[in-house]
Order: sequence, then C-alpha cells, then structure tokens
Amino acid sequence: MRTFFSLLKTELKLNIRNMNMVIFAVIMPAVVLVILGFIYQAKPAFPGAGYTFLEQSMSAVCAISICAGGLMGLPLVVAGYRERKILKRFRVTPISPVMLLGVEFAIYVLYAAVSMALVFPIGAVWWGVRLPGSPAAFLGSWLLTLVSTLSIGMMVGGIAKNEKMASVIACLLYFPMLVFSGATLPFEVMPETMQKLVALFPLTQGIQLMKAASLGIHTESVWMPAAVMGTVTILCTGVAVKCFKWE
Amino acid sequence: MRETIKRTEEAVRTENLTKIYQGRTVLKDLNLSVKTGTVFGLLGANGAGKSTTIECILGTKQADRGTALVLGHDAKKDRRALFEKVGVQFQEGDYQPEIRVSELCGETACLYERPADWRKLCERFGIGDKIKNTVKSLSGGERQRLFIVLALIPDPQLVFLDELTTGLDARTRRTVWKILEELKGEGLTIFLTSHFMDEVEVLCDEICILKKGEAAFYGTVEQAKAQSGCERLEDAYLKFADEEVVA
Repeated sequence: MRTFFSLLKTELKLNIRNMNMVIFAVIMPAVVLVILGFIYQAKPAFPGAGYTFLEQSMSAVCAISICAGGLMGLPLVVAGYRERKILKRFRVTPISPVMLLGVEFAIYVLYAAVSMALVFPIGAVWWGVRLPGSPAAFLGSWLLTLVSTLSIGMMVGGIAKNEKMASVIACLLYFPMLVFSGATLPFEVMPETMQKLVALFPLTQGIQLMKAASLGIHTESVWMPAAVMGTVTILCTGVAVKCFKWE
Repeated sequence: MRETIKRTEEAVRTENLTKIYQGRTVLKDLNLSVKTGTVFGLLGANGAGKSTTIECILGTKQADRGTALVLGHDAKKDRRALFEKVGVQFQEGDYQPEIRVSELCGETACLYERPADWRKLCERFGIGDKIKNTVKSLSGGERQRLFIVLALIPDPQLVFLDELTTGLDARTRRTVWKILEELKGEGLTIFLTSHFMDEVEVLCDEICILKKGEAAFYGTVEQAKAQSGCERLEDAYLKFADEEVVA
C-alpha cells in the first residue's frame, strides 16, 4: 500500500503538471455545463416533465471526464511510458503490472470524481439542479460507467505497441463516444435512427443508466447495461493484466 | 511473503547463452561466471553484443538458447523477488517528462522494501544540490550519475551498469570509480560494460571481450596483456576485439 500511495502521489503530480487532463477532464465538463446552463436555464426537459433539461444532462456532463480519462489520458500515458522505455526501467524493479495500472487507474478515478464534485455545485447554485432520483443508484451507475470505460483504456494502454498506435485507437474510441454517446450532444436531440445506432456504445449504456438513476425514472433494463459494462470491465482488465507489454 | 534472495558464490552465471535476431546470431554460446563481491567488465565494440548479453541475463530479452542465473535465480521467473536485490542502469535510460530528480528517486525508492537513502546517494555522487531540478535540465554527466544513483537505490547485492561513465568528464569518472571501489569493499558485485580501458584496468577483477557476439577473451586484465603480448590493456583489447589500430 505504501508503494501504491507514493507512486500515486508522484504520478498524479506529473499528470497535473502536464495539464492535458486538467483541461479535458475537469475544465471542459464544467464549460459544457455552463453553456448548456445558459441555453436551457431551468427549463423542463419537455413540457410537463418533473425535471429540467439540465438535470437530465448532468449524467452526460459527468461522462465527459470519464471519457477523457479512460479513452485518452490513461492509454496515452501507459503507451507513452512504454515507448520512452520507462516501463523497461520499471521491469527491472519489483513492481507488478497490476500495481502500475492500478496507480494510473486511480489517477483518472480522481479526475472524474473532482469533475463531478465541481459540476453539481455549479449546476445547483446557478440553475437549481437537483438530483430527483436516488443519489446512491446514481453513484453506483457512475462508478460502473467509470470503471468500465477506464478498463477499456487500460487494455489499449497495456497492449498498444507505441504512443502513436495508442493515440489512433484512443481517437477511434474517444471522439465517436464523446460526440455520439450523449456526452456532448444530448441523446434526446438526436434523430431516432441515430439513437438506435449509438446505443451500441458502452458509454451510451452507462449514461442512460446514470440518467435513469439520477432522475428517478423507472427503467426495465437496468441489468442489461449493467451486465454489458460489467463484462467489458472484466474482459478488458483481464486482457490488460494478462497481455501487459513492458516493451 | 516474497522469497528472499540468499547470498550465492556466483552472482551471475550464464551457460551457452545465445541470441538470434532475424537470422543473425548476435550472441553465441556465452559462458560467464561472476563471483560475488567482484567487478566484472564486459567489453567489445559497439554492436558486439554487450547490451544484448545484459538484457538476456535480466530477462528483458528472451535468449534463444542457453541459461542465465542471477543470484541463483532465473530473472524471468523470479522477477519481483530478484529485483529487490539487483540494481540496473540501462544504456538508454529514460524518464517521465517534467519529472524532478527528487521525484524520480522517491518513485524508485518506494518500489523496494528496504531502499537505500537516495539523498545520501545523490550527495555522494555530487548531485545533492540538484534534487529540486527537473531531470531534463541536468547536464549529460549529471544525468548519467543520477542513473547510477537509481541503480543503487535498491541497496543491491548486484548492480548492472551499462556504459557506466559515458559522458562523464575525467574528474567525475575518477570520483565514480572511487565510489564503486568503496561499494565493492562493502560487498557489492558489479557487472559493467565500458569503452574506457583505464577504467576497466582500475575497476575490473575479470573481463570478457566480446567480438561479434562471441567471447574472444575471458580472464583477468593481466592475463589479457600476457596472452596478447601487449603492455597496455588498450592494445590487448584491440587485438582481441580485432579492431584496426589507427596510428
């Protein structure tokens, strides 16, 4: 544990010094929320709805940070360390791949948590955003979305040959998911055919689950998205650890 | 509980170690035996197979034939237990961008159960006043010394130093030699590669000269001189390594 926290401290400092994730995982979600806030104010999500459009969008806003960390930050850092032979140096020390990946994982959990802790008060103070549903269920679905997305990132980072390869894979995952999963473009404004198509992204499932939990909407298919994300997590984490490449 | 590494008579032993790259034999049937508490020098021209030998011994490269034991262990199988007690300085050491000397040392130290005091090591190697600096701001020589410090942080029984003093000025080289002799006096086994024959003559108990991946000479410095009929080690080396002497 001592090793874990010492590593976490240094790696987190380096990560913050780099600024990329501060911008993409903390500032950007807040900016998106503020823009949505100015556009929609405290308008209801649809005529007669029991919650506002902004409340409906909170899950998607939280997912921006998850998406940035899991599909961009994490894979690029790990693949970059491989390319710079930093992993090779770690290889001739007692550290295990699980510890290394665990530390990087924890960093992006922290970013996502900080981002969430920032956007809710902003929404609450200026546009009266509440959490009409169950906070516990929301937190649970947030965690599931976070863990499953980060596990995809770990897999990409764990096995990509170099930073360029990781970057290409990360872009292929990041941009479509960010734009079309409902994280930036609200799911509700998309045409129906498009909604059906993007429902295939795991992040879309996560956002829908978070949304249902936060708004207190009854959904029949809670287990379906949960099972999808759980399977993704187990599969990707397994591949990341088993097939981890030091060089 | 990790398996403890006991003291052995032989710190490093290889038998018929062979490595083939794309059909080219870069290392052929190398048999080495490094006794505990001695300094062993692996010499040879660039591309003679020095780094490949070290990497096959450490398990960061897979040998195609033969065996290598480090402190009585197979480095690939007992990686985590072994590297508690073995320090390594690779030829191309790299580090995280923006990392400070103190952070790199602290991050390395936290990986070990009983690390040496890295501040004292930095003092000893003359970079004690640089620990707040970023690693990239150090001069080549300072960075080289930092990587020797990193290899000594595990408080190792055995240390591998690839191209130990490349990039150091004459005075610093002498200082490094002196420290290494002191460490040898404390029981440390040193496996080094070098291009400087003065250094080898001062430090090494035994040497092996590699020529195109094969041992062209194996024995003490005195034996090398006697066998080649040369008065200076440099001449003996060139004779064995078959490099033309440019008058």
